[in-house]
Amino acid sequence: MAKKAVKLVKLTFSQKLIKEPVIFTMAQKFDVMPNIRRARVTDKIGEMVLELAGEEKKLEKGIAYLIKVGVIVEPIVGDIIE
Amino acid sequence: MSYIKGLRCRECGREYPKEVLFVCEYCFGSLEVIYDYEKIKEKLTREAIASRPKNLWRYRELLPIEGSPTDGLNSGFTPLFRAHNLGKALGVDELYIKDDSVCHPTLSFKDRVVAVALSRAKEFGFKIVGCASTGNLANAVASHAAKAGLKSYIFIPADLEAGKVIGTLIYAPNLIAVEGNYDEVNRLCSEIAGKYKWAFVNVNIRPYYAEGSKTYGFEIAEQLGWKTPDHLVSPCAGGSLITKIHKAFKELHKLELIAKPKTKFYAAQASGCSPIVTAIKEKSEIIKPVKPKTIAKSLAIGNPADGYYAMGTVGDTGGWAESVSDDEIVEGIKLLAATEGIFTETAGGVTVAVTKKLIEQGRMPRDESILIAITGNGLKTQEAVQPHIGRPARIKPTIKSFEEEVRL
Repeated sequence: MAKKAVKLVKLTFSQKLIKEPVIFTMAQKFDVMPNIRRARVTDKIGEMVLELAGEEKKLEKGIAYLIKVGVIVEPIVGDIIE
Repeated sequence: MSYIKGLRCRECGREYPKEVLFVCEYCFGSLEVIYDYEKIKEKLTREAIASRPKNLWRYRELLPIEGSPTDGLNSGFTPLFRAHNLGKALGVDELYIKDDSVCHPTLSFKDRVVAVALSRAKEFGFKIVGCASTGNLANAVASHAAKAGLKSYIFIPADLEAGKVIGTLIYAPNLIAVEGNYDEVNRLCSEIAGKYKWAFVNVNIRPYYAEGSKTYGFEIAEQLGWKTPDHLVSPCAGGSLITKIHKAFKELHKLELIAKPKTKFYAAQASGCSPIVTAIKEKSEIIKPVKPKTIAKSLAIGNPADGYYAMGTVGDTGGWAESVSDDEIVEGIKLLAATEGIFTETAGGVTVAVTKKLIEQGRMPRDESILIAITGNGLKTQEAVQPHIGRPARIKPTIKSFEEEVRL
């Protein structure tokens, strides 16, 4: 059985991506379940904090897809460096 | 005796018990320690504080531990002084420096946060502490852990400068050089913190760790005669320090130890990594992460976790934000050294250069009190200034050679 994983991430969207359904596309394409916990959107930029759950490999691919289309993906761990 | 009431989410306000937690289960917001101020008010007076040893624990009731402090008993209470020469150079009447470049024992303000983090980690029963860092934090965790007899694991990027590696290795921690960039070290540490029962000072015990920064603010108020400056320039990396100095002033006011603070806070960053400054200037509520490219490596956090709150501090107090180039940072370091005899690291160069810029822009009036935060020592970042400070005059051991070289 494939290994399940959960990741907490913060996504930042540039202006052109705000109108694109990137989360939905990723969820459908890689069978990842997003659970949005918090979001802020302005006319120029969007920020979303969410939990992503799915099979480990698919989750990695889903995150790689988000990065590929231009979403900035950061893990929720605070600033570890310094 | 404990004065901690619990933890509270900074986003949604949900409260949690005082345990090893660092994000809200609901909204993933960061957590902050809350205290029983009524109880603290009965105990913490100016007289009580004045009677205590000169270290950061003299404000112990406002720090998140249950029992007696065990670490950093000689840390904090660094010099605060009127910087007449630098004030004259910048054309202002009343300038102060709060100098953590001489904080004991590892020469940066990180000794404050680590002192609190380790005292709290021991109360939780942790036997192993850790962090990932590129400099000051690595030094501080390794040093304090050595003194405390705790095992430590410090994670650094594999290509780190030799000076920083030696400044950590000397304390004999388990130093792990990760073959990857900063972001990859970050991610690895978050996974390790989740898997092993270790106290990663700025991950799983971050709410407690971050409170140590308040002592920088408490000391400023006490050393200015229980007053706060009109303007305060703070470096911003993750954005925690500036918010904690502000919190410190607010807490002292709540306890009626100072009048209502009117300090305006100014965020200082390097142009090569200025996500907080950019958001403030653009009046954006959202901070866009950046890829850092600056000599000010101790401020090089492209995705500042407390950036939103740092913006709040600047906005709420009527301050502003500014960034400076690498050349301006070096000039700032040199100016502080030439005028006040202090060798600060690149972060100090940033605050000095930003102060100069804000004064020249007319953002800070020349006739009001200004305080510059100096948070680290220049001996740690010598490579940043080495190409810019000339060389010694080389002579033969004769008077003739001396007089030929040095024209008096």
